[in-house]
Amino acid sequence: MRYKILTVDDSKTVRIIVKKAFKSFDCEIIEAANGVEGLAAAAKETPDMILLDITMPVMDGVEMLTKLKSDPTLKAIPVIMLTAEGGRDNVLKIAKIGVRDYIVKPFKEEVLVEKCGRVIDLKPLTDGPTKAKSIFDPATILVVEDKPAIIQQIQEGLKHTPWKINGVHTTGEAIDFCSKNTPDLVIISLSLPEEAAFTLFRLIRQNVKTKYTPIFALVVKTELNAQQQAQQVGFSYIVTKPIEITELESKVAKAMNLDTSQRYFNVDGDVFVMRLPENTTQTVVGEVLNYLKPKIAEAVDSGIVKAVIDLHELKGLNMAIIKLLIQAMMTCKELALQYTLVGNSQIVSECKGFEDTRNWQFHDSIADAKASFTKAAPSPASVA
Amino acid sequence: MPTIDQISESVFRETINRAVQDVFKTMLARTATLDTASDAANADGTPWEHPVQINGQQVVGTVGFIGDISGLIYLYLDAEFANEVASHMLSMTLPELVDAGDEVVNDAVGELTNMTVGTFKNQLADKGFPCRLTIPSILRGSNFSIEPISSATRRIYRFTVGTHNLVVDLLMKTGD
Repeated sequence: MRYKILTVDDSKTVRIIVKKAFKSFDCEIIEAANGVEGLAAAAKETPDMILLDITMPVMDGVEMLTKLKSDPTLKAIPVIMLTAEGGRDNVLKIAKIGVRDYIVKPFKEEVLVEKCGRVIDLKPLTDGPTKAKSIFDPATILVVEDKPAIIQQIQEGLKHTPWKINGVHTTGEAIDFCSKNTPDLVIISLSLPEEAAFTLFRLIRQNVKTKYTPIFALVVKTELNAQQQAQQVGFSYIVTKPIEITELESKVAKAMNLDTSQRYFNVDGDVFVMRLPENTTQTVVGEVLNYLKPKIAEAVDSGIVKAVIDLHELKGLNMAIIKLLIQAMMTCKELALQYTLVGNSQIVSECKGFEDTRNWQFHDSIADAKASFTKAAPSPASVA
Repeated sequence: MPTIDQISESVFRETINRAVQDVFKTMLARTATLDTASDAANADGTPWEHPVQINGQQVVGTVGFIGDISGLIYLYLDAEFANEVASHMLSMTLPELVDAGDEVVNDAVGELTNMTVGTFKNQLADKGFPCRLTIPSILRGSNFSIEPISSATRRIYRFTVGTHNLVVDLLMKTGD
């Protein structure tokens, strides 16, 4: 839902500053230069919130506010005063008429956004309508952990990604970081002293810019009470120590809603390649299954008729992987895609041990597999 | 009820100094320094009553306050400084400002004056002198001087903001 904010101020400068402050949020700014225009705009547009100056020509803000509050159709619209008219008595007098907040000029744009964010659920504007960020796009991850070795482990483990891992040791440093940057994901250690992790969680959630940022809790596997508490307050995911980096990477990608398909699917010349990584965990199998049908269909749609299922990095087979591979082969068949397999000696050997896989035939490399397409039309692998 | 005579010169100076610093810091991320060497007071502490000396093209913003105390404050900015202020407040480049015309710069200086006078009078309101603001107005030109009416007291404060000067002319209506 796109929120409407009505700014009523005789200064065009203020109206421009208000527009500028909200430009990265999914909301529409409507302008009025005095109370009369403001009331008309409020009746016509029914804004979700009004920012109201006091000293204006034609009709001042106090009169507009009074009229607004006496109109049954408009009185529920929350109003935040944005005015140079301060002073304790003045503020109290106007507060009695009914305002949600009072901002005295001069003001910082961040303060304006933060106060408005308490009244309406401001959402950051997304870059494009549907395009998801990919795993090859840079991202900023903040790790708040008082043990430098853990930060180092995460930085080391994720160094092959384009993500920038920023480690800080205290909540103060974390707040400072968030005031200057907008992290795409935050990982907070629950071992910070005096329940600081939960305080920091609340502060990050209260900030309009980070209200929807995924926040992971980092906790020792055996500390079940802390894990339960983290789940109750709403942490997006619990990462347990010792950290399984592959799992962490998958969860981070999922939490940031990244398109990870390029990790498993690509087009090499005129051949569609599906590749399983060395450590194909249950999570990876799930990810690949999600993308499988749409990716193969996309390849067929673009005119590709050949596919290679590349298992040369895979360390071992299990039932979940076998089911995934059978599913992939069936999808290729359904869409009349020729396919072949590439595997290492371990995989070839393991395949001999399963009823469903013993007839599968493998090539040693993608080059060999691609060359095989020119020799024979029928698929070298068959599904039992 | 407190009277204007109870407000000392140092209170006026501190109040205007705080207002200018607060507004310039918040809205422009600039530090304004009160120039005490040329402070607008005589050696015996009485307010300096010389007219403001201005050179070159000026943009002058003015906002009044009316209530238990009444007065006017003028903010004098040279044209270049006024353009810089508008450019920063509106996030516009100088060529964009030129295209937009003087009205845009006038509005920005008017708002800057409004905020400064507001911050000044809000502090006095909290000291027991409630008053309200008037709508800003702008003067533009060169080789002009603004003379106060005889019943007003005048205090002039000079600030340095980077390479620019800012003159604040405070005119207070005297108590009856």
